[in-house]
Amino acid sequence: MSKKIGLYIHTGDGIGEALDIDKLVELATGGLGVDVVKTHNDLYSPEGAAMVKQDVESEELNAIVLAGVSPRYEYKEFSFPGVYTEKASLRELVAWSHKIPEDAEDKDAQKEHVQELAEDYIRMSVTKVQKAELPTPDKLEECNQKILVIGGGVTGLSAALEAAEAGHEVTIVEREPELGGFAAKLRKQIPVGPDYSNLVDPVVQDLISKVQSNNKIAVKTNTEVARIAGEPGEFRVSLKETGTKSEWDAPVPLTDEEKVDENGNELSAEDQKKIYDEKNEGRKEYTEVDPDAEIHGAVVLASGWKPYVPAEDEFQHLAWGNPNVVTNVQFEELATAGKITRPSDGKEVKSVAFILSPGGKDDDSDFPYASAVTSLVALKHAKYIREDQPEDGKAFIFYQHMRTPGQYEYFYKGLQDDPGIFLTKGAVTEVKPSDAGLTVNVENTILGEDISVDVDMVVLATGMVPTTRDEAVVNLAYRQGPAFRDLDLFGGYCDSNFICFPYETRRTGIYAAGDVRRGLTIEESMEDATGAALKAIQSLVAAQEGHAVHPRTWDFDYPDFYFQRCTQCKRCTEECPFGALDDDEKGTPKPNRTRCRRCGTCMGACPERIIGFKDYNIDIVGSMIKAIDVPDDDEEKLRMIVFACENDAYPSLDMAAARGAWWSPLVRIIPVRCLGSVNVSWIKDAMSSGIDGALLLGCRFGDDYQCHFVKGSELANRRMDNVAESLNSLGMEPERVKLAQIAIDEYDSVAKIINEFVDEIVAMGPNPFKGW
Amino acid sequence: MAEFRKIEPDLSFIKGVMEAGGDTVNRCYQCATCSVICPLSTDESPFPRKEMLWAQWGMAPRIAGDADVWLCHQCGDCTAYCPRGARPGDVLGAIRANAIRYYAKPKAMADMMGNAGGVIGTVIASMFIVLIVAFFWSQYTGEAFPFPEGKVVYHKFLSVVPIDAMYLSLAAFVGLVSIKGIMDFWADVSKGSGMVSYTGTGPRPALGALLGKYLWPAIVEILSHARFKKCGQTLERARGHLWVLWAFLILFFVTNYVFIAADIFGMHTPMPQYHPVKILANIGAIMLIGGIWMIRTMRSQKTKEGVLKSSSQDWILIWLIFAVGITGIGSELFRLIGIKGLAYPTYVLHLGCVATLFLALPYSKFAHLLYRSTAYVYQLWDKDVRAGKAGFGLEKPVVPVTPEEG
Repeated sequence: MSKKIGLYIHTGDGIGEALDIDKLVELATGGLGVDVVKTHNDLYSPEGAAMVKQDVESEELNAIVLAGVSPRYEYKEFSFPGVYTEKASLRELVAWSHKIPEDAEDKDAQKEHVQELAEDYIRMSVTKVQKAELPTPDKLEECNQKILVIGGGVTGLSAALEAAEAGHEVTIVEREPELGGFAAKLRKQIPVGPDYSNLVDPVVQDLISKVQSNNKIAVKTNTEVARIAGEPGEFRVSLKETGTKSEWDAPVPLTDEEKVDENGNELSAEDQKKIYDEKNEGRKEYTEVDPDAEIHGAVVLASGWKPYVPAEDEFQHLAWGNPNVVTNVQFEELATAGKITRPSDGKEVKSVAFILSPGGKDDDSDFPYASAVTSLVALKHAKYIREDQPEDGKAFIFYQHMRTPGQYEYFYKGLQDDPGIFLTKGAVTEVKPSDAGLTVNVENTILGEDISVDVDMVVLATGMVPTTRDEAVVNLAYRQGPAFRDLDLFGGYCDSNFICFPYETRRTGIYAAGDVRRGLTIEESMEDATGAALKAIQSLVAAQEGHAVHPRTWDFDYPDFYFQRCTQCKRCTEECPFGALDDDEKGTPKPNRTRCRRCGTCMGACPERIIGFKDYNIDIVGSMIKAIDVPDDDEEKLRMIVFACENDAYPSLDMAAARGAWWSPLVRIIPVRCLGSVNVSWIKDAMSSGIDGALLLGCRFGDDYQCHFVKGSELANRRMDNVAESLNSLGMEPERVKLAQIAIDEYDSVAKIINEFVDEIVAMGPNPFKGW
Repeated sequence: MAEFRKIEPDLSFIKGVMEAGGDTVNRCYQCATCSVICPLSTDESPFPRKEMLWAQWGMAPRIAGDADVWLCHQCGDCTAYCPRGARPGDVLGAIRANAIRYYAKPKAMADMMGNAGGVIGTVIASMFIVLIVAFFWSQYTGEAFPFPEGKVVYHKFLSVVPIDAMYLSLAAFVGLVSIKGIMDFWADVSKGSGMVSYTGTGPRPALGALLGKYLWPAIVEILSHARFKKCGQTLERARGHLWVLWAFLILFFVTNYVFIAADIFGMHTPMPQYHPVKILANIGAIMLIGGIWMIRTMRSQKTKEGVLKSSSQDWILIWLIFAVGITGIGSELFRLIGIKGLAYPTYVLHLGCVATLFLALPYSKFAHLLYRSTAYVYQLWDKDVRAGKAGFGLEKPVVPVTPEEG
């Protein structure tokens, strides 16, 4: 569709002083052929907005470019139906970040640089507007509103109640014959509200009866998920009886190890298929549709935890194996049965030592999978002893970390007041049997010395293992396999990006809550359940309205695939961080629209360049790069391009500019959705059009990644290796293309990163292909 | 291989501290704000932080061996600044209350003097004994009983001989019990501070040095209330306390003067009002009443403000001293006015209160006079021993070892 474009230049905020605005207008109306070009010294005021609105209506503009403040600021006044709006950042990326000192000797030369920078941004924006199309929402025909809750413990029950309260039908699937989970097997529990100072009776029975009397909630006990197929808004859920096999059990793809022979050579496709078939015997292909599957819109995963059971030879120095040395879970069982008695001889227990950290002097870490909960439980169990033996019961808690966050400090304080509870930090070095029972040796205690106590029993504060550590639980019938990916980064906890998006998993429409996500108390689990239920509902709304879920919730676009040219290389299906793409019968990618989060990783991966969005694709960005004016005979005017991730790198540039940072006017910044969306062809485009270097600024990757799309920056880094190779083969320095990691709060160093890169490129000299 | 100290917390000790006003002891998390803020704590042996920890862990022998408990005047500075509401000042107060009971022999007496009913009972019992003695005395003197003929003259009712017979024997008993308590306390703190290790039996100050080098400076300090005056939160309390202390000294002197003059030189009471000793006695009585009233008011106010807690022990001693002062002045006034029917009963009440106060010395909060003074003396001695300045074969510095628990 041909565009009738209006360009509006904001001259306030120092832009007018920094630039020759008349020359910009001349460029736009002349070379770029923009239909309407106007300037305004307060473009974002009501008057400015009215001016644009009038033009849109009277001139019938269908695209506008606002050249002024950063695109990160939203001005709803400039949204006109059917009009494509683009924002060029003349304020942050030009005027504010390229201030010329009053006493600079080469003031005129510097001014020329800045002017050229602004002109390039105008060229790039107009180019983008000429190519981009307005996205049209791609809605699901029918978006199922039912929510599946996996797990009938405190978290699952709470999530179900919250979702039902919000008007959604809910199915709870519980593996055990009864609802309630571990919370139903407690003598007492940690408080769920003020005044927090003492134990309270378990709250789970109340939740169970509320769920049972709620007609929006269907409860299926003794049931497991065989497979979940489909996508948010229309998940096809196949259930089965606990512990049984089903033909609808989700098939498991081959691991990397299974794909190679003993010599490390990749097996042939036929051999692989053979192994795959053996492995998944009796299971239907993941693409097959179960006609009896129940449709659900979204899933809350609340499958919780299972007790950590030490191996026989573990914790020998703590006398693990002695009948009177038990885990906290075993101790809870003893307490629930009645007055606590010693397993070895049934004697009433008068004194107990609770050990929170098993490592002795050398290692102060707590038990595996311990958390604040294990600290709180040790306090709770200490109180059990005091309840059973108010006269002379003694409970010793030996810890390296006593974790009682938030309001639970009051719980700690309340129990601390008990004269029979003794707390000290210290390294427990040995537990050994003695005449009376057990002797516990503790070094480096708060008493200033090494102490030993005689006790009847020892309790190890072992941790809570998330169910997702050892099994898939959700059993997805996805091409990428039934389980969440890379959970080993989180010790098996079901998580994707803890700091930014709690509840979020790497499977859209599936939200984790409770102890499967991290160690949480009953109170915290209930709160967590609310959060996950709301996220599930949100994802339904997104599926229904056709926009992405977090973090691009405004985005109604969806990648188009030009399948005629697809070579079935499967890079997109394998690299999609969210498993949005399955295979169809021929092996071409089969998109699942509502699983997609619009990061563009598939676009970055595709060697055939057949994947793209309406307003963000290979051609648009490539053309923007080519729109940059590259002087081919001026060594003073090298050109570098920076692909800046919109999530962290670009905001940090904005912040740096607002704080008066300066970076070289030789660089042109192009925002990208994620470094994962950067296609190698853009770098080739840049190099072939004479640009001297390219810098990719994205989020941290690795074990502590901060990438908003989990894998994008890591994949980009991997692709850089290929880029380096091709540059090498062309006889160019591979260092001309570089990737740097930056977090949103590192605005104080982002300018330095850019300037150092520029210095390196300047030192290398111009791109040898310049001017070809 | 590390040496592990066997810990067996004495639960009854912790409960005892909690019941005696130290119910906040377990809240301490060892930040040491108390020891830093305390105007009396020393660099060598800071308190009350360590006492808080020992009390939490029920380490009764360690607390018994700790003279620092007595160096605290419960000014409440630590309590005011404690970030956790552990009220160290009150905890030390509770520990001292329990220590008094611990050193009191026999315990039954301490139990009796530890509650208001027991104290009132003691007063009544003493009055009863006084009346019986007075009755028999009247048989001997031929005076009318209970109201002798003529003007109110107390010695007609009960002269110095029977009074001395009663009170000297009472004083002797109290003295023995007190000395026993002090000796036990001294032995405990010597052991607690590690002095025992030096010679095997433990260094001991010679009597002359004890009196001249340690007791005398301690008394001088006590008389000036130099330490009590450093207390921030309850500074005004020190003034009342100083008045009461000086009143006791004056009354002690007056009593002894009368004792000597009457018993040895045959003087007859009452002395005329213009007699310097009588004037001194009246000043002493007024200071006693004034001082104790100041203490009462101050404690009451500070308790309300939450600066410190007050136990029945505190109030019993205050009201007992007040009763001694008021009945003393009362008997004098009624005698001067000549109201027989009030004068003699008030006199008997006064004698009962005085006897009870005597008896209270080792058994009630009054015993802080014994143990705090001893602690002051011990502190001076201990310092010299450590520095090798104690003389008498103790010229080398003593390095104390950690004492055995037990």
